[in-house]
Amino acid sequence: MDYAIETFSLTKVFSDWWGRDKVYAVNDLNLQVRYNEVFGLLGPNGSGKTTTMKILLGLLHPTKGKALVLGGLGSDPKINARIGFLPEESYLYRYLNARETLDFYGRLFGLPSKVRKMRIEALLDMVGLKAVASRPVGTFSKGMARRIGLAQAIINDPDLLILDEPTTGLDPIGTRQIKDLILNLAKRGKTVLLCSHLLADVEDVCDRIAILYGGKIQSEGKVKELLQQTEKRQITTGAISDTAVEQIKRIVKNEQADCVVTSPMDKLETFFIKAVAIAQRQELPTSGAVSTTQIGGFLAPEAPVEDILDKLVSAPTSQESAEPLTTEKVVPVETSDTKRDERLLQKLTEPAKPVETEPVVRDLGPKDKKPETKPVEHKAAQQEQTKKSIIDQLTGPVRDIGPKDPGPKYREGTGSNGAGRSSPKKENKGQTDKSQAGD
Amino acid sequence: MKIAAVFIILLLVLLPAMGFTVTGDDTLKGRLQTFVSYGLSLTSFLLCLLTIMVSIYSLTSDIKQKQIYTVITKPIRRFQLLLGKLLGIILLDVGLLVLFCGLIYAIVVYMPKYLGTDGEELTRAKNEFFTARAGLVPPEVDVHREVTETYNKLKKTGQLEQFFREFSQKKIIAELTKQKQLEKRAATVGRSLVWEFNNVKVVDPNLFIRFKYNVSLNPLDLQVHSRWVVGDLRQIRYATKIRTPIYSCTRKDLIRTFYEIEVPADAVAKDGYLAVEFINLPLNNTVVIFPLADGLEVLYKADTFTGNFIRAAILILLRLIFLACLGILASTFLSFPVAILLCLVVFFTAAVSGFVIESFKYISENISGVYAYAIEPIIQLLPQFDKFNPTKFLVSARLLSWPLLAKVAAIMVCIKAVLLLLLGLLIFSYKEIAKIVV
Repeated sequence: MDYAIETFSLTKVFSDWWGRDKVYAVNDLNLQVRYNEVFGLLGPNGSGKTTTMKILLGLLHPTKGKALVLGGLGSDPKINARIGFLPEESYLYRYLNARETLDFYGRLFGLPSKVRKMRIEALLDMVGLKAVASRPVGTFSKGMARRIGLAQAIINDPDLLILDEPTTGLDPIGTRQIKDLILNLAKRGKTVLLCSHLLADVEDVCDRIAILYGGKIQSEGKVKELLQQTEKRQITTGAISDTAVEQIKRIVKNEQADCVVTSPMDKLETFFIKAVAIAQRQELPTSGAVSTTQIGGFLAPEAPVEDILDKLVSAPTSQESAEPLTTEKVVPVETSDTKRDERLLQKLTEPAKPVETEPVVRDLGPKDKKPETKPVEHKAAQQEQTKKSIIDQLTGPVRDIGPKDPGPKYREGTGSNGAGRSSPKKENKGQTDKSQAGD
Repeated sequence: MKIAAVFIILLLVLLPAMGFTVTGDDTLKGRLQTFVSYGLSLTSFLLCLLTIMVSIYSLTSDIKQKQIYTVITKPIRRFQLLLGKLLGIILLDVGLLVLFCGLIYAIVVYMPKYLGTDGEELTRAKNEFFTARAGLVPPEVDVHREVTETYNKLKKTGQLEQFFREFSQKKIIAELTKQKQLEKRAATVGRSLVWEFNNVKVVDPNLFIRFKYNVSLNPLDLQVHSRWVVGDLRQIRYATKIRTPIYSCTRKDLIRTFYEIEVPADAVAKDGYLAVEFINLPLNNTVVIFPLADGLEVLYKADTFTGNFIRAAILILLRLIFLACLGILASTFLSFPVAILLCLVVFFTAAVSGFVIESFKYISENISGVYAYAIEPIIQLLPQFDKFNPTKFLVSARLLSWPLLAKVAAIMVCIKAVLLLLLGLLIFSYKEIAKIVV
């Protein structure tokens, strides 16, 4: 079987000045990442994660062994054209502004100017830095720089995305966005290699993980298999009466098992996003990233915050037929791509102004957690929808996520912590189905 | 790079200031020469420093601040990255050079009007500064036979053993040759010296005879009386009909100082023959010697000042390109401070390359083996900034010809700089970009 990333007893030894072996950063590593897989590389500091990535990208030469990326060497420009890389910190040219930075990287990929322009605008929108796009990135905070770093990593629509600690320095919304993005890319048949020690993040998005220690794989496998507690069951219900709880308890007792009943807690992440959304609604000034609005901007204004993010995670629906999830490679940027992007820009440029000034979550009160309304088809909503589709086309082709589509790659972004449960999803049945399946 | 801005502002302020304050020897020509000399030297020097710094900083900072991680993992090859940096630096240099040389040129052209000079001083400046003259040097006289004779005589009489025991044969011969050649360029009192030139092609109405005297005994007023005859002297020698005019003049000139005699160009015969005769007048009480290198020259206008100035600027650019390649090579394997140090050492050594080459040649007599295989190749790789100094040409209004420029370009850039660059590319292609972090 072909692998997106494959290493053969990869070894990297750092020698001291006299040429004596000092440290085995990577030791006889055999790593296999399949196509269309989100693979997490975990391990404590100094366990060889970053070194492995650098070898894969040709930034370091292996002492022994071999590393293949997309069937070739990581130093080959043809392979590089299909890789997106986000290093452990976003190393940017301080004096370029955000737009110029993205333009620079777009040029390095040899993207035609039209495509470049469109993608830059869409990406700036996506990472929420459109308002500060003409500020030098040297003045950006770490999280904002990280967002630009992420944007440059996906500007070429890569087949393989290598992310080194992508969520460091990001606010919870940014973290969530990155996780959503990873899932989105995976759904489009892309491969993602993720390296992090934020275990919660890895757990949320990865199909398979490997835990490194001392440059060797200590444990490897599917997240679900590794983590599932087969001897326990969990039932989540709506707000049922105490009598019903008593009844359930009795049934469980009959099965000779223990039973604990509590109300589920909101995840801190969810709570945070809500708080920011409220501040955003009051139009408080900020010099930082305005991700909340922008994320909201992709969706209908009536949708609650939680749904906004969930929807982003799940990718929107459209008329296009579902694309089978295969391991086939995605065609690099070509004329058809150009046309697609052109179409998008046209759409993007038309409604841009009025939409941005309108707070997206205006109608949403802080207590209004479960709005029963459905998206209203007014003009602003349509414009937002258009914008959203542009972003989606960049981060993932628009396709149907209906109940028929089992979406093997898909998991709910909120993961096993079950935050998704706290708010019901009205407008997307398939998503709800799957979030439960995922749990 | 704020340092670039500092350099640019410094030059923008200094050049005009210099233009209006230089005095030289208080003549227009003196002022022009002083200004061009200092202005161009300063520009060249600062741009050289700037080129070294920018070329090194560009790559080392990318590596140190790790921006190179995201650049080199894009679909470009490593040599493209280096060539891109080089191209950027060269473009910057071209831009700055055009700016500053344009400024110098404008000031130089404007200076006569600003000072309001006219008449003789202006004519002199036009003839001896605002021009590009080619020079004809009298061919070396073959003294081989005489030298051999003298050497054998000395050997026979045993004087060699007696006086020159510590000298090698080669050195004695060289010394004798020099002595004999000087003899050919010395005139005792009342005697004359004649130099003959063939293939003189003069377009301009005038040609110039540039000379400098050395004497065996200093006259009291340090001046030499002389009579010069210029023209087709064959007409006198063979007593034929005079077809081309013969000019003559009597002069009194200071010793060890350059002078120029202006002669109408029609003195040159149709076949390009020209003879120059110097007569050591009996008023003198000394032997007059014309030094070997620059004792006598026939100068004629070959190009305009503007053309020469442009070529001088290109000569500076060639220098900068070499330094840019050197800087890039250094930055592929050294850190910023070390690379700067290395490049500055090379730069200053190249600025005095004549001295360095001579010194090593002198030492090499004792360590010829080591010299030939170890030191010489390195010295050969050094560019000779002092030998091809653009101000030298402009100050003396000497023609800096295209062929000479092409030669410098071929040696300094096409061979030496490209060699350095290739070495840099090779190192960079196999280098581990990432820092070792565990």
